[in-house]
Amino acid sequence: MSSFFSILYVLVFLPSVVILYNIFPKKYRPIVLLVGSYIFFWSMSGKLLVYLLFSTLSVHHIGLWLTNLQSERNLKLKEVEKSEKKELKGLYQKKQRRVVLFGVLLHIGILLAVKYTPFFTENINSLFGVLNIPITLDIPKIMMPIGISFYTLQAVSYIFDVYREIISADRNLLKIALYMGFFPQIMEGPICRYSETAHILCEGERTSYQGLTMGIQRILYGMLKKIVVADRLNSLIKTVFDNYSQYDGGIIVVAAVCYTLQLYMEFSGTMDLVIGTAQIFNVKLPENFRQPFFSKTVSEFWSRWHITLGIFFKDYIFYPLSMSKPLKKLTTKARKLVGNHLGPLVAGAVALFCVWICNGLWHGAGWNYIFFGMYHFVLILTGNIVEPYAKKLLERLHVKKKGVAYHTFSVVRTVILVVIGEMFFRANGLRAGMSMFKNMITNFSLASFSDGTILTLGMDAQDFMIVGITVAIVMVISILKEKDVSVREGIAKRNLVLRWSIYYALIIFIVIFGAYGRGYVPVDPIYANF
Amino acid sequence: MERLIEILEDIQPAADYETCTTLIDDHILDSMAIIALVAEIEDEFDITIPTVEIIPANFNSAQAMYDMITRLQEEE
Repeated sequence: MSSFFSILYVLVFLPSVVILYNIFPKKYRPIVLLVGSYIFFWSMSGKLLVYLLFSTLSVHHIGLWLTNLQSERNLKLKEVEKSEKKELKGLYQKKQRRVVLFGVLLHIGILLAVKYTPFFTENINSLFGVLNIPITLDIPKIMMPIGISFYTLQAVSYIFDVYREIISADRNLLKIALYMGFFPQIMEGPICRYSETAHILCEGERTSYQGLTMGIQRILYGMLKKIVVADRLNSLIKTVFDNYSQYDGGIIVVAAVCYTLQLYMEFSGTMDLVIGTAQIFNVKLPENFRQPFFSKTVSEFWSRWHITLGIFFKDYIFYPLSMSKPLKKLTTKARKLVGNHLGPLVAGAVALFCVWICNGLWHGAGWNYIFFGMYHFVLILTGNIVEPYAKKLLERLHVKKKGVAYHTFSVVRTVILVVIGEMFFRANGLRAGMSMFKNMITNFSLASFSDGTILTLGMDAQDFMIVGITVAIVMVISILKEKDVSVREGIAKRNLVLRWSIYYALIIFIVIFGAYGRGYVPVDPIYANF
Repeated sequence: MERLIEILEDIQPAADYETCTTLIDDHILDSMAIIALVAEIEDEFDITIPTVEIIPANFNSAQAMYDMITRLQEEE
């Protein structure tokens, strides 16, 4: 299997797992899911399955280790005087922190070794070159198991949640194995909490008619986004990003917009397929998107795009850092010195910097990803700093912040900033990104639209039309969702004939207008490589 | 409770803390305000707010914050 959208997955693997899941008695169904998950992982990464197995076993063990320490502490707390309790708590907190540190270093260490060794080696070689040191280290070729960036974060969140006593460590290895390896979410998330999915994954409830139809409906919507739009845009994006120096700023703008669109359609389409698949097994996964292109600020955009990653960074990096003793002291001092607005921003900026450096590096080992992270750090921090001043300025200019004009301006401004960020993200290195950005500004021209160059990049007029119509459909559905109108439930409530007519129309639309076969190269699962 | 409301009004004046129950949900208090708030509450009430307590349910209203403070004081 090459992806969730391959014929083998959609027409053979998924139906087989669904049938077997429902044939087996309830208590064996979680085992069917786990075996299915490992077969799926094996088909993608082969022997590298051993990484997932090791992480699963170590997480299981570390969780129990922490829970044992907590039980031991609770027993001793009952035996000691009140005055000694604080000291005992502190002692056990230290012990637990050492276990957490070990667990986190182990899992993040594996991720760093597998994902970043070539990047670090390259940069060490460059540094040796600059310092005239005649040493060149061999750049190792390390195979990366599918989904390691996702299940590692789930492992870390499990360890932290046990440590914080939000959950108790689970003795049931099957439950932990399914939490870590459930096949729909292994490749691109969403990044779940143990308390969100582990229990329901092991319930083994039979597939209901509603779960099946709603799941298939969501899968079809995801396929529409991925196969009709994301794959169709692929040739144009590849052509322009690989040969950016040959094109004027107008074409670069088109490619940058198309890439942002492709990223959204690919990732959110995959999430539709993932969440729809889980729904068939009665598992409710958290949403990863909430109409991001209606955001008024970059900060809001990131609370609507890849939501589960944002929550992970907020809960496990931003708050623990900004709430650490040194940063709390800094906040108190800074508030007294520079006031209520700028004071918290000092500590906030330190935590925000760490979040965005991690965010950039999580997406990939390259300077363009680090730049991508820093670009958002600067935008979000600037947004926070200028917010009260901008508010005062708008009041003086009598501009209504909630008015349609300012709202539209804010949304368009955010989209432009996001598109620029994503261009650097996709560019073949930071230098290429800088060059494209410069070209966009200094060499902007509409000539390529009138002389027909635009139609020589891998998409003809018909391709543009199909993309336009599909994007319009997705946009209408997004507007309705933004207004709390559930299109999916609306369709599900219609009579049988109308409902199935819509489903068949969707299938036929994907079959006819899907970008596959000769002349098309489907886009690789973008987030699976992160 | 009065002291808590004074702290809240000092950090973010644009809200009615007596009645509002959606301080986080309606983005009246953002993450930067929470940083300032936690530091002030810890100083004022002599408690430590662990990260696990930083959840919307504990910061959506002044009453919820006060309940959390009382609970943490009892636990200390």
